[in-house]
Parts: sequence; C-alpha cells; structure tokens
Amino acid sequence: MRLLLVEDDPMVGESIRDGLGQEGYTVDWVRDGKGAETALGAEPYAAVLLDLGLPRMDGLDVLRAARAQRNDVPILVITARDAVADRIKGLDAGADDYLVKPFDLDELAARVRALVRRAEGRAEPVVRHGPIALDPATRAVTLRGHPVELSGREFALLQALLARPGAVLSRAQLEERLYGWDEEVGSNAVEVHIHNLRRKLGADTIRNVRGVGYTIPAQ
Amino acid sequence: MSSLRTRLLVALLGAVLLAGVVASAATYYSARAEIGALLDEEMRQVALSLRDHAVLDVSRLAPGNGDPSQRVVVQIRDPRGVAVYLSNAATPLPLARTPGFATITHEGRQWRMFTARSGPQTIQVAQSTAVRTELAAAAALRLLVPILAVLPLLAFLVWLILDRGLTPLARVARAVSARSSSSLDPLPAERLPGEVRPLVDALNGLLGRLGDAFALQRRFAADAAHELRTPLTALALQIQLAERAQTDADRAASLAKLKEGVKRATRLVQQLLAMARLEPEAAETPLAPVALDALAQSVAAELTPVAAAKPVALAVDRAEPSTVTGNEEALRLLLTNLVDNALRYTPAGGRVEVRAFRRGAEAVLEVADDGRGIPAAERARVFDRFYRVAGTDVPGSGLGLAIVKQVADLHRARVELTDGLDGRGLTARVLLPAA
Repeated sequence: MRLLLVEDDPMVGESIRDGLGQEGYTVDWVRDGKGAETALGAEPYAAVLLDLGLPRMDGLDVLRAARAQRNDVPILVITARDAVADRIKGLDAGADDYLVKPFDLDELAARVRALVRRAEGRAEPVVRHGPIALDPATRAVTLRGHPVELSGREFALLQALLARPGAVLSRAQLEERLYGWDEEVGSNAVEVHIHNLRRKLGADTIRNVRGVGYTIPAQ
Repeated sequence: MSSLRTRLLVALLGAVLLAGVVASAATYYSARAEIGALLDEEMRQVALSLRDHAVLDVSRLAPGNGDPSQRVVVQIRDPRGVAVYLSNAATPLPLARTPGFATITHEGRQWRMFTARSGPQTIQVAQSTAVRTELAAAAALRLLVPILAVLPLLAFLVWLILDRGLTPLARVARAVSARSSSSLDPLPAERLPGEVRPLVDALNGLLGRLGDAFALQRRFAADAAHELRTPLTALALQIQLAERAQTDADRAASLAKLKEGVKRATRLVQQLLAMARLEPEAAETPLAPVALDALAQSVAAELTPVAAAKPVALAVDRAEPSTVTGNEEALRLLLTNLVDNALRYTPAGGRVEVRAFRRGAEAVLEVADDGRGIPAAERARVFDRFYRVAGTDVPGSGLGLAIVKQVADLHRARVELTDGLDGRGLTARVLLPAA
C-alpha cells in the first residue's frame, strides 16, 4: 500500500518512512508543498500524511488545492500546530484526521489503517472475502482459518485487490500501488507475485482478465 | 515621616508659627523702645512739674497710690543728701551722680531714674523697668495669641486643601494598585496636574516597554515550544524504531540516529538559552574592549576540526588590529554562529574565509564562503527566528542568524549579507562602531 509523506524535517521524515516501511507500506516522501502537489496529481495513494509548516507552499494550501481538484484521497495532517483553532482549520480545509507532534508511531499506523478502511467503505478492521481473511493491523492472512505465510509484496498485492472486489486492476495500476519512486520494478514482478498468491490461496482466487488486468471476483 | 500630607502640614504650620513668633518678637522690641521713650518723658514731666510748682512744699506730696510695682517713686533730698521726701520710704533709692536719665540696679531690681536739680535740692523720679517690659510683652502677646488660637483651624484647612491637592496622586496610586500583574494598559493621564503628569507619563512609558518585553517573551516561549516539538517527534519516533529493530545492525543504526537527534535537540536548547541570555534586560556582563582580530583567530582555531572533517578550507585571511567595546562572550557567539553557518552550507572542498579589519570609524568582521549562498530575496528574512530557507536539507534550528542579529543589535552594529567568494556563496559582514 502506497502512502505519500509530506514532511520537511529530515529526521522526522526519515523515521516515519522507516517506521511505516516496517508496517509494509511503500512510502513516497516529499519535503515541500510544491512537491506534494505534484505527487498528488501524478500517483494514486492510499493515504497522505501531511505536515502543515512546509516550505514553498503551506500544508493547508496543499490540502485545499487537492480537495478543490476533487482528489478524495484520505489525508492525515501531522503537525506541531496543536491549538484547537488550528485543528478545526485543518479538518475544515479537508483533512480526514489530525495528529499532533510528537506522536506515537503505532498510533500513526493505526490511524492510517483506519483512514484506509473508511476510504474502502468498510467498518470491520479485518477484510473478509470468502475463505480469505486479511488483518491489516497484524498483517496476518488466513485461508479457512489456517494462517498463510505471505511476503510483504504479496500481502500488499492481495490487499490492493481485496480493497474493491470485482474491480479489475491493470499491471501498471498494481505497480503504482505497490512500488515507490525509488524502487526498480522488474518487468514480470507483478506476474511472479500473482503466481505465488494463487499457489498459496488457490488457483481461482485471482482471475486474469486478458488484456486488462487482474481481479478478485465479487461474491 | 513618610506621608507627604503630614510632612507638608507640619512644615506649613511650623512656618506659620515661626512667622508669628518672629512678628511677636519684633513687636516686643519696638514696643519696648516706644514705651521706654514715653515713660521717660512722663518721668521728666513729673520731675519738672515738681521743681516748678511744688518746690519745698513737700507736705503736698501724698504718698503714692495704685499698683506699687507701677508706681513712680519720687525722692527729694537736700544738698547734703538727706532725704526731704521719700514716696517709698521702705527702700530709698541711692542718689544719681549726674542729672538726667540713668538706669540703676537697686536691691535686685532695675530702675529707670530721672534726676533734676532744683536750687539746693535734688529731685529724683524713678520707675521699675519691669513696667516697661510687661507692657511690651503684653503687646507682643496680643499679637501671638490670635495666631496660636487659629492654628488648629489653620491645620484643619491646610489638611483639607492638601487632601484635595493630593487627590490626583491618590487616584494614580489606586489605579496602579488596582491592576493585576498582567494588565499593562497605560494609566489614565487626563485631568492630571503638571506635577503628577510626568510621573504618570514615565509609568506609562515603563508599562509600554514592559508590555513589549512580555509580548516578546511570550512569543519566544511559544516559538521555542513549537520548535522543540519537531526534534522531540524525531526522538520519539527513533526510539520506537530502535525498540522494533530485529537485528543488531538495525538497532545500532537506529541508536546512531537517536544520538544524532539528541544532539540536535540539545543544540536547539543551547541556542534558545543563548538567545534568552542575550535579551537586553538579561545582559549583565559589563562592556570591555574586545580585539576582533584575536577573536577571529580564536574562533577559527576552535572550528578548524569541524572544517577539517568535511573538509572545508577554513582560514583567517585578514586579521588587522581592530578593537570594539563590547561583550566578548556575545561577540564570540556571533562569530562562531557565522563561521558555523558557513561551514554547514559549504560543500566539501569549499572555502571559508574569516576577516577582521578596520574601515574608517567601523570595525568589520567578515565571513565569506563559496557555498550555496542565500538568494537575494531571502536575505532579509533569514534573520527571523526559526526561519529556514526553503529546500534546505542541512539540519539546523533556524536560530543561528537570529542570534547573530541579536548580538549585533546589542552592540549597535549592522549586519550585511552579500555575495561570497568568486561570485558564489555568501559574505556575512558585521560592522561595529570601533573603540
């Protein structure tokens, strides 16, 4: 799952990127408002972590611009501005959640999960589809109650397909959701992960729509 | 006596009393002289009338009557000195040596005496001087008594007048005591007499300056707290990453970053403290002559290891005698910040040059580098606290140049930022009034 992190402080940015990376997220990190605007226009992110005090363009302006362009990506504001008035301003400008520095890494991850869950239209934290159950918090997948060992990429791929069962995602779309900017993507990387998932979860779990992409059929 | 009113009251009443006493004394002396002349003339008339009309007819002289102390004493003696007539036979007065007026002391009392010759007989008319003293004292007392009598009334009136006169002061005192420690609004200055106005104006000036200082402090504290959040966030996150680390290598890497974070937070706190100490109200160090050339060499020597680690060529390429009157610690902080900044923003292989020299009436400190410099449009803003040039990836607090500015202000110095070495980088120039 790919996240956009907008944070101008090198140490904080690096820590969040590493911490969320450990949670299995792919994190793109930009350090100013202009960069955030560009990235938001170009890539599909599962969620955005947005600092407010940014060089070149204030975080609130980034927020308003994104909403003005009908970009409904979940946005979590992370900032040192802790006054109630600031929080209200942030939420009213279009933020989905507001987290004040300093914060706990686990809390940040939990809030990201909640944002993604709500964006996918689910209330239950565990994603269930037929015999498959996927828990984003523990990153555990079970098939008919039995644990299934998945690699980070396989987990992310399954999560992306389970987010909207029935929708067909092209290889390019899956790559966009899985890989950050600085990652090299092998030409058949997605095919390899799909193959592994079918082997572990059953051959007909993921269907190939020829010339379009992959889907997990709706039930 | 601390009450202005009591002090004024006592002084005013004292002055009135003193004036009364002086006036009474003057009256006493002038009355004494006048009464003396009057009674002398009376005695002379008595003596002459005795000589002209009653010579020898002693039998017609009745013994004196009336107040014995005021009585005029008459004595008539024959040429041998034998008393022919004594109006007061109990204590006969002695004979005067010469005719005319004389003042004699007889049996402890002073007498004024007039002596006239009437043929063979001598006529003496005398009167105790106490009569004159009493009359003069009575006159003086008549003046003093009314003054003493009206003194309580005067005191009451003066008290009332002072009370009214001091009302504006009392009003100011009430206004001052009624305000809370946080209220620094100016005191009302209308309808104040000219004597109180300067006091209130001075108080209002002080309140204004205090208000500015408080506002500055509050903003500083808020800024500082806000700025400390970011390094604290980094620390909190790095601790969690270190806790989660699965391998020793990961843990070591996290701990190294954690250490870096602590260093950064420490530096921020140190800079905040330095700024707080540089507040004009807090500056206690007396000013002393500071040799800028020696300071430049000392600071450069101190930072040489930092420069060598990068590596950046750090050199003092001009150190000419130039002395200013200032706070050496603060000036060292200023130069250290400038050189440290230059070293931070100059990439490896670059140059940083430090200069100290004198130009006209000014002593100049310069730090020039060939690093990335500061865009001309941002040069005015970099002195703001916590301001950082956009796109800066060098860690920093945004306080270094703010401290430089503060020290410069403390020394009434100017700071200029211009292009650096070879048309690149930055030159920071501090122009101080030379000693």
